[in-house]
Amino acid sequence: MTSTAMKKKVLLMGKSGSGKTSMRSIIFANYIARDTRRLGATIDVEHSHVRFLGNLVLNLWDCGGQDTFMENYFTSQRDNIFRNVEVLIYVFDVESRELEKDMHYYQSCLEAILQNSPDAKVFCLVHKMDLVQEDQRDLIFKEREDDLKRLSRPLECTCFRTSIWDETLYKAWSSIVYQLIPNVQQLETNLRNFAQIIEADEVLLFERATFLVISHYQCKEQRDAHRFEKISNIIKQFKLSCSKLAASFQSMEVRNSNFAAFIDVFTSNTYVMVIMSDPSIPSAATLINIRNARKHFEKLERVDGPKHSLHMRMR
Amino acid sequence: MEDDGKPLLDPVRAEESYIEADQNGFDSLDPKSRRPFYVEPRNIVDKDTQERVSAEASVMNSRMQYYSRLTGSSDRLLIPPDHVIPAPDEIYVYSPLGTAFKIQGNADGSGKNPSIITIFAIWNTMMGTSILSIPWGIKQAGFTFGVIIVILMGILTLYCCLRVLKSRAAIPFIDTSSWEFPDVCKYYFGSFGQWSSLAFSMVSLVGAMIVYWVLMSNFLFNTGKFIYNFVHHVNVTDTDVGTNGTDRVICPFPSKEHHANHSADEYMTYGNNTEDVFDQWWHKTKTVPLYLIILLLPLLNFKSASFFARFTFLGTVSVAYLIILVTLKAARLGFHLEFHWFHSTDFFVPEFRSLFPQFTGVLTLAFFIHNCVITLLKNNKNQENNVRDLSVAYLLVGLTYLYVGILIFAVFPSPPLSKDCIEPNFLDNFPSSDILVFIARACLLFQMSTVYPLLGYLVRVQLMGQIFGKPYPSVFHVMTLNLIIVGAGVLMARFYPNIGSIIRYSGATCGLAYVFVFPSVIHMISLHRSGQLRWPSAVFHSFLIVLGIANLIGQFLM
Repeated sequence: MTSTAMKKKVLLMGKSGSGKTSMRSIIFANYIARDTRRLGATIDVEHSHVRFLGNLVLNLWDCGGQDTFMENYFTSQRDNIFRNVEVLIYVFDVESRELEKDMHYYQSCLEAILQNSPDAKVFCLVHKMDLVQEDQRDLIFKEREDDLKRLSRPLECTCFRTSIWDETLYKAWSSIVYQLIPNVQQLETNLRNFAQIIEADEVLLFERATFLVISHYQCKEQRDAHRFEKISNIIKQFKLSCSKLAASFQSMEVRNSNFAAFIDVFTSNTYVMVIMSDPSIPSAATLINIRNARKHFEKLERVDGPKHSLHMRMR
Repeated sequence: MEDDGKPLLDPVRAEESYIEADQNGFDSLDPKSRRPFYVEPRNIVDKDTQERVSAEASVMNSRMQYYSRLTGSSDRLLIPPDHVIPAPDEIYVYSPLGTAFKIQGNADGSGKNPSIITIFAIWNTMMGTSILSIPWGIKQAGFTFGVIIVILMGILTLYCCLRVLKSRAAIPFIDTSSWEFPDVCKYYFGSFGQWSSLAFSMVSLVGAMIVYWVLMSNFLFNTGKFIYNFVHHVNVTDTDVGTNGTDRVICPFPSKEHHANHSADEYMTYGNNTEDVFDQWWHKTKTVPLYLIILLLPLLNFKSASFFARFTFLGTVSVAYLIILVTLKAARLGFHLEFHWFHSTDFFVPEFRSLFPQFTGVLTLAFFIHNCVITLLKNNKNQENNVRDLSVAYLLVGLTYLYVGILIFAVFPSPPLSKDCIEPNFLDNFPSSDILVFIARACLLFQMSTVYPLLGYLVRVQLMGQIFGKPYPSVFHVMTLNLIIVGAGVLMARFYPNIGSIIRYSGATCGLAYVFVFPSVIHMISLHRSGQLRWPSAVFHSFLIVLGIANLIGQFLM
């Protein structure tokens, strides 16, 4: 058995041009080289080495609407594609004029999932919502969501409306990641305890590859509702710069007279960000606290069963 | 990427970033210039007190900064579309001096003229040389009937203009924001619409250019004659029939049976009375039109007309001066009106005449703005006032025409002269020695010589653009076109310099398409397509089309 066949996959599928490559680029901070764009359907399974939530590998597939060559290739590789899938994320272009066709392809993907990976979680993203008038967005999304939920039975699908030009994309992917973490409630409780012990203003837990916020605790109201996305963008830009120098980002401390912020590796799949509003507490103290907490949280990750562990390594 | 050396978070000013307006011309190739940032609130200079950047704008800034790192600088994949960019009043332009300014109004420059400017622009554009023919037109139609016709034609052309204005909005699914009326015609009628609208536009433009040539020859002749007489202190004993006294009004072509169309002979004999060498070389129809070629043909060959567009204020000055001139003459000459309803007398014309189609033809061109009204109203700040502003502009134009027309007609000294003497160019009724009129002629001459190249440019752009795809295919093409137009002008000035006829024929022809037929048909088709065409509307608009055709036929019959 090849190692590719055994790795758990996150499938990102949708019609050609629905925005998957842009979405992946934005979420995973992948540089989009010009030649991978618009030269035909995405045959991406060999290129995605993006590790996500530990051991999940992101695969991007164009689904439906191309020439017969792609159709045949897709059909013949179907079992290969849909085996070992942990998550299916299907992207619908809200502007698409071929709704029937889109639903048809979606259903055939669901059939393949039922056959090959019946335990997979299914998420549907109704994308490019910025092209719909603001007052109509809720209505149109509700309509699509009802259709999709109906079509997906017996599988359960969770629907989100997204656009790369507002906060909905980040929030949708954060929700997806949240649902993929098995012991997330436990993580949250522990995070709250940790925050209260070290007297932090806010503590955030990020997924390592995407800097999507998995969980957070705040002890008082914060002014900026978009701060998670902003921090994520800033860190991802920094990571892009670091990767150009073949360096990798490990930790960061930002300090001024009002606060001190620490971003550091936490567990093997997460980063933590701690905000202290009492600048008199020395950095070293906070860093020691974070280091001790790290051990505790890593134990938490190992506790759960082998199937769902984030920590699983398959050889 | 380009600037890896630059720290991502500038340690000195970690929170500074600027949001830039893509639309207002900052599209430089420099990728750095496209980076958004926002400015500390204390650095934002505005009339009001400090305003913070809104949360949406701030997070959009963060997004745009991040996305710009994900693609190559020339790649347009993750460029924000227009509808996600914050509203212009949330955008600040960063000055390198450390302050930031809000963008005033709409970034791309459209829609910032207040109503009064728009009304003035429309008035200015419509006020052409047809104002000189209005008294003659009133004479042709009869005084009362003439006034009624001015009002009716004004309302009619205004309604058709509103139809033109609204024709663009009725087109579904397509972005028509850069369309003009010929594009709308092309949409509805295909290439027939495109070519026919081009042909009719050419009729109006080339007709106007010919009228201009005739008038300019006239004015140049009179100006030259005045200057010659002034310099040589020649006391001209005018052999023309006219009044006596200081405010002399002449009748250049007196004849009992006074027809609208002067024969060519009458024009030819004008000025041949003396053997003067000057008069031989400075002849209204034989030589002066040719001298104009030297002045104007080079101007026509300019590639761009923006230089001439600066002189549009001269048109306003000329019209204002004409109004003052008319008022002064009226004050000095006094009123001479008698009302004879249906039959003509020696000195007066009936109030209702059968020659009225000539006046409607003139008025069609006098109220013509339909081929550029969309463009003119695009710059109106409050678009919802477009109808109101257009109506006010038409009202002002109508009042101006009525003022000039009624006054000249009313004060034309009828006991010695017949009202029939009123010339299609009313300045011709004043001798070349009249100093006030000399100033008017000189002003108009200068103004028209700046408008003439603009008209030529419009003809060239439309004709060449349509046939060859670009406005300046080669010097040869453009020169040929210019020679044709100038040749037509010279020939008309030589053999048939009756501007009344030229105006009414070209007015009725292009009015047929642009004023009567196309707007009505397009309106009916768009109503029909949306299933809203009702009988009264269909009948009314068909009646408009019939009126347009009758207008054209009337020119030939009457």
